[in-house]
Amino acid sequence: MTTKEKQPQYERFRIGARIEHIILLVSFTVLAVTGLPQRYAQHELAQNMIWAMGGIETVRLIHRYAAFVLVLGSVYHLFTSAYRLYVRRERNRMMPDLKDAQDLVGYVKYNVGLQEERPKMRKFNFGEKLEFWAVVWGTAVMAITGFMLWNPIATTNVLPGAIIPAAKAAHSYEALLAVVSIVIWHFYNVMIKHWNPSMWTGKLPRHQMEEEHALELERLESGETPWPQVPAPILRRRRIIFTVTSVIVGSIILAVLVWAFTFEETALITVVPTREVFVPLATAVP
Amino acid sequence: MSRARITSVAALAGLCLLMGAVFTAVPTLSARGENKGPETAVPPSTALWQTEPPDSHPPFDSNACLLCHTDTDETITFPSGEELSIQIDAATLATSVHSNMSASPLACQECHQPPNNYQYPHVPFTAQSVRDYEIMNSSACERCHMQPHLTSHPGPSSENPVVCTDCHGGHDVQPAASWHTGANVENCTACHEQQGVQVTAEGATAVIQAGLFAAQQIDNAYCLSCHSQPDQTMTFANGDVVSITIDEAGLHDSVHGASNEWDELLCADCHQDYTFPHEPVSDVSARQYSLNQNNLCQRCHEDQFAKALTSVHSAALMEGNLDAALCTDCHSAHDMPVPNEPRSRINETCRQCHSSIFDEYAHSVHGEALIEEANPDVPSCVNCHGVHDIQDPTTAEFRINSPNLCADCHADEELMAQYEISTDVFETYVADFHGTTALLFAHEGQEGAQLNAAVCYDCHGIHNIKAPDDPESGIKANLLETCQQCHPNATENFPDSWTSHYKPSLQNNTLVYLVELFYSIVIPVTVAFFGLLVVVDVYGRVRRRRRN
Repeated sequence: MTTKEKQPQYERFRIGARIEHIILLVSFTVLAVTGLPQRYAQHELAQNMIWAMGGIETVRLIHRYAAFVLVLGSVYHLFTSAYRLYVRRERNRMMPDLKDAQDLVGYVKYNVGLQEERPKMRKFNFGEKLEFWAVVWGTAVMAITGFMLWNPIATTNVLPGAIIPAAKAAHSYEALLAVVSIVIWHFYNVMIKHWNPSMWTGKLPRHQMEEEHALELERLESGETPWPQVPAPILRRRRIIFTVTSVIVGSIILAVLVWAFTFEETALITVVPTREVFVPLATAVP
Repeated sequence: MSRARITSVAALAGLCLLMGAVFTAVPTLSARGENKGPETAVPPSTALWQTEPPDSHPPFDSNACLLCHTDTDETITFPSGEELSIQIDAATLATSVHSNMSASPLACQECHQPPNNYQYPHVPFTAQSVRDYEIMNSSACERCHMQPHLTSHPGPSSENPVVCTDCHGGHDVQPAASWHTGANVENCTACHEQQGVQVTAEGATAVIQAGLFAAQQIDNAYCLSCHSQPDQTMTFANGDVVSITIDEAGLHDSVHGASNEWDELLCADCHQDYTFPHEPVSDVSARQYSLNQNNLCQRCHEDQFAKALTSVHSAALMEGNLDAALCTDCHSAHDMPVPNEPRSRINETCRQCHSSIFDEYAHSVHGEALIEEANPDVPSCVNCHGVHDIQDPTTAEFRINSPNLCADCHADEELMAQYEISTDVFETYVADFHGTTALLFAHEGQEGAQLNAAVCYDCHGIHNIKAPDDPESGIKANLLETCQQCHPNATENFPDSWTSHYKPSLQNNTLVYLVELFYSIVIPVTVAFFGLLVVVDVYGRVRRRRRN
């Protein structure tokens, strides 16, 4: 329920999470826009889209660059998660538990009128956890199958050949699942039922906090900080260790990724078989 | 005129009157139409004179003319200075086919036109010279002989004409039959010799006897009277020797011949402006001649000709390859058969030049079926390459569109059912990486963009296509090698990544089938789950708003 008067705002996302979201948003959108027309290549609209984006070979290149960005973004998320868990010593609030199931049931009951009270939900409610883990699952499936499609020869050096068409099918269906989920669930929750500004401003207005994160709201209003505070000297020491570790590990991972994304070219640039050019016999004199 | 001369003329006139009385049964002009003419070897179709008399003929009397013209020394002087005797030799006149005593008698004024000019005293001539007079006067022949027979001799309208009287004579005109005996052949030889052309009496007689001069239209019999003779050749300036003997039976059975359901063509329909004797052929070679004749086909076959102009053969010709196929190279010229009867004729036609391709084709699954079993469904050359607008098969465009060529048959369920061949091949191809790429390339229509994904023939072969399970050279015999043509680093497992045109099922492409099964459950369940939550949320919102 939007109200006219100015709503108090509550801290929800720091800049790092918002940057991750933008990376995900851009790469996901580009992947969907360049990928779905390939899935539906038999349709005129898809063909026109591919044509408009510069032809199938260009579209495939864009798709692969976007995939690289998405994977980089995913790796970056692993690092920021590690930072939050081991440097900041934050609690892992993403793991689903029994309360999420109870919240889901309560949410349905409340909406259909079987329950008077709205379930009080935590910083990440059942819907957001569902979405988060759907993205984790989807990205993993898409990255693995995408890698196989990109590098079929390397893949079949190790795995049976039948994995390639299966990977293609999985990549194709998983893409559809991801896009459909985002459009139905994410778009509805953050844009349609109300505009959720937290991924842009980092803050959520009070009425949305009340509706979706009542427990978190209570926690913040009781004076707790949104994130645990770490004493400066300890934080500095952990940061140094983390930075050194992450630069080393990150460089290795980046090198592996660049190698994985570039080492096989024959699937992308195949050789057109050359044929002997036929020279006809001279025509017989009539 | 002296009295003595008048006396003798009167005596002759009297004689003529007497003879006229004898021949009263032969009315002079009105009887001409019923005359069948001399019984000679003249071909029956060639009536050399008209059956009706000219529109008008004034009363005349030849005797009156002859009163003066049989006994005179007088001459006419033309403006050119030439003199011409006006003396008529009665004996000569009597030998004429048009003499009073002949079956087709003519009076003087029938030829000396118009009659009024020949009333006495005569109107002066307008002719400038003797030759001028001969040319002008010969037009009188056409009053009766309205359809003069064919001849390549230049007519009265030309600069240097040969007119009727040059060959047939004036007052001593002979019946046509006499030409067939060789009696008057010196007319030919003398005149030709004068023009510097040696013509033998025997040769001229043979030509006349062949009926070449008597014909009134160039029908095939006319041409074949010479061209059906065996072993005739013609030598071009470059030394090419070609036979000009035409196989009469072949011509008859040709699509243009008498034995087909269409209108027969005449030799002259193609060989235009040919009269006898022929003008010398100016083409320096046999090929040059064929090239120059080629345009004739479009007079009737406009569509085919226009298509052929867009073909790879035409393009080669334009680039200067004079051996590139012309109409007649495929269809032949005289014994032209129906080009696709039997169907194997098509391949034989192309084989004339494309022999090595034919050899490959002949051993393919398609070629064997056509050649050995006369199978009506397998493609011959033209099913893939087109007929007249044959395109260059090495272009990017041809490559991109080639899967559609195969699909024309291989996606046709009715046709494939007869041979128990799957029609999934095209659909499964398009659904896979190679086919999707080909489809998109075809849509983009980028000119000259070379499609680097495999098309049907990259794996199955082109002219040498074998059944996929052919033990020796079928595609399954060595699939890895086939893949390595484009994917040189491919290893043992790689070929299995191809779905072999099978739609996923428990038996074939099982893994794909299971993945599809998984998602065919997961996607609807997910959509339903999220959808229901959204519906529930909307419902709750509306309900609460109403309550408030």
